[in-house]
Amino acid sequence: MMTEQTTPVSPMTSRERVLAALRREPVDRTPVCNPTSVATVELMDLVQANFPAANREPELMARLAATSYTELGFDSVMPVFSIIQESAALGCKMQWEQKDNWPTVRMSEPIWHGPEDIVVPNDFIKRPDTECVLKAIKILRRELGPDVAIIGKTMGPWSLAYHCFGVEPFLLMSLDDPGRTKAVLDRLKEATVQFGLAQIDAGVDALTLPDHATGDLVSGEYYERYLKDLHIEMVERIPIPLILHICGRTVDRMGFIAETGMAAFHYDSKNKPEEAMEAVHGGIALVGNINNPETLFSKGPEEVHAEVVRNLEAGVQLIGPECAIPLQTAIENLLEIPKTVREWHAANQTIN
Amino acid sequence: MGHIQSLGKRIELVSMDKVCGDISIALYEAADDNGSATFLIHTYSHLDGASARIAFIVRAMQVLGGMDPVPGVGHGVRFSCGATHALGCRRIFLEACKLASDAVLAEKPLTIFDKKSERTVTVSSRGAGDYGLSADGEEDGRDRRVGAIAKGLIKLAQTEALADDAVRFSCGQTHDAMVGLLLPRALNVRAAMREQEDQAGRGVLAAPSAQT
Repeated sequence: MMTEQTTPVSPMTSRERVLAALRREPVDRTPVCNPTSVATVELMDLVQANFPAANREPELMARLAATSYTELGFDSVMPVFSIIQESAALGCKMQWEQKDNWPTVRMSEPIWHGPEDIVVPNDFIKRPDTECVLKAIKILRRELGPDVAIIGKTMGPWSLAYHCFGVEPFLLMSLDDPGRTKAVLDRLKEATVQFGLAQIDAGVDALTLPDHATGDLVSGEYYERYLKDLHIEMVERIPIPLILHICGRTVDRMGFIAETGMAAFHYDSKNKPEEAMEAVHGGIALVGNINNPETLFSKGPEEVHAEVVRNLEAGVQLIGPECAIPLQTAIENLLEIPKTVREWHAANQTIN
Repeated sequence: MGHIQSLGKRIELVSMDKVCGDISIALYEAADDNGSATFLIHTYSHLDGASARIAFIVRAMQVLGGMDPVPGVGHGVRFSCGATHALGCRRIFLEACKLASDAVLAEKPLTIFDKKSERTVTVSSRGAGDYGLSADGEEDGRDRRVGAIAKGLIKLAQTEALADDAVRFSCGQTHDAMVGLLLPRALNVRAAMREQEDQAGRGVLAAPSAQT
């Protein structure tokens, strides 16, 4: 629940607000944060930066990313819309799609079959699809100045393994041969760290680290066995706040996640805000939970308002969508998120 | 560059208009000072030709759907009855967006040949928003087919069922142009709904584990 403070917090910039919330320190109001994409086809039109080019050309990537701050009123921008930049740079076969659909990796055509195959190339962060992100971050920092939080993204080794080995082969490997599985994760983590550090150099304030040990396919026990120590290592090696993102029902592993040292967990609407806050027990900040497919995509501002309020009342530290929003999401639903946060704070006169 | 505008509630979106450079075109619903429903067709694109494309779609909705312009609202349309008919308006919008900008616009007839039953189907306005459906040919299967087409009109135009072969607009006004436009879709309403669902399902990012 909200904590009443006797000392008011001075007005903060968006960047200060996001970073304070990631440290679980007091803020002047709850930040509205997008650890993943809030790009839509209408925003693409507005700034003339369409997919798929906006995933591959730094100027377009930066221009589209900036809209979350300049148009929607979020406290952060996040230029890495997709989850494929590193996989493309590693040589995965890609389907770049069109304006209204997400680029994807052709996971049915894996590039590797065992840990011995894995090569993170020396020029990994200089390949077009990784370098594009680094250039976009630099443009955003230059254009938006120091007051906006820029969040980058570096994919975790479990997600990269899905892309490079295929989902089914990698999951079967995790069942049949834990040693090889750990060797795969151990090699792939170098890509995660390299790309994360490069984004810090480029100017990000925090990094989202998606690692899709999702609730539907991977248990909490699996998370502890394969990923918890790896994520602790990520925190040790990447010296800015990390926001772990895992889709699906994840309450069974939130306790483990809270012990990794990650700054925040970007959590799915399949978890109730109250139970999630209980599960992490103050060990990590929470962000996300506003439902994408049913609420932001299919319903209206009233329903968005209700979900934002529920998160605020549960004491969730940063408010935002649960995952990359559908590209056809209505802009009025996105505007409702910061509007509700401001109204709620004005009505409650409290600080987090 | 433009800025976000408050346009009402977005009720339909064509995310890529193939006729005009893949621009996104949206249909917004609002209400005028009297509380009557109005609709606005809008794009955020500044592409050359985008404004002319929107003007064409507005004109197509007026001709094909029997909608009226909204005084003082550039790209606005509404039904003369003042009712919402939001589902019907969405279908009119989608049909208009399928047309090339140089298409010849004309109101569609209330009669159509149904290939499935090999009959000519006719919809007749009975006044006060009531429409009866009939088909020529032998009795065998005719009533069932007419009933299915009536259900199609109910789904597409948000009409009410009066009988197996009759539907009604709740506003009590005639909407011949809209009925004529939607009649071909009502012959195969499942395909029309499937097309809409497929379109709506694009652009939702799935976790890698949920991708194929």
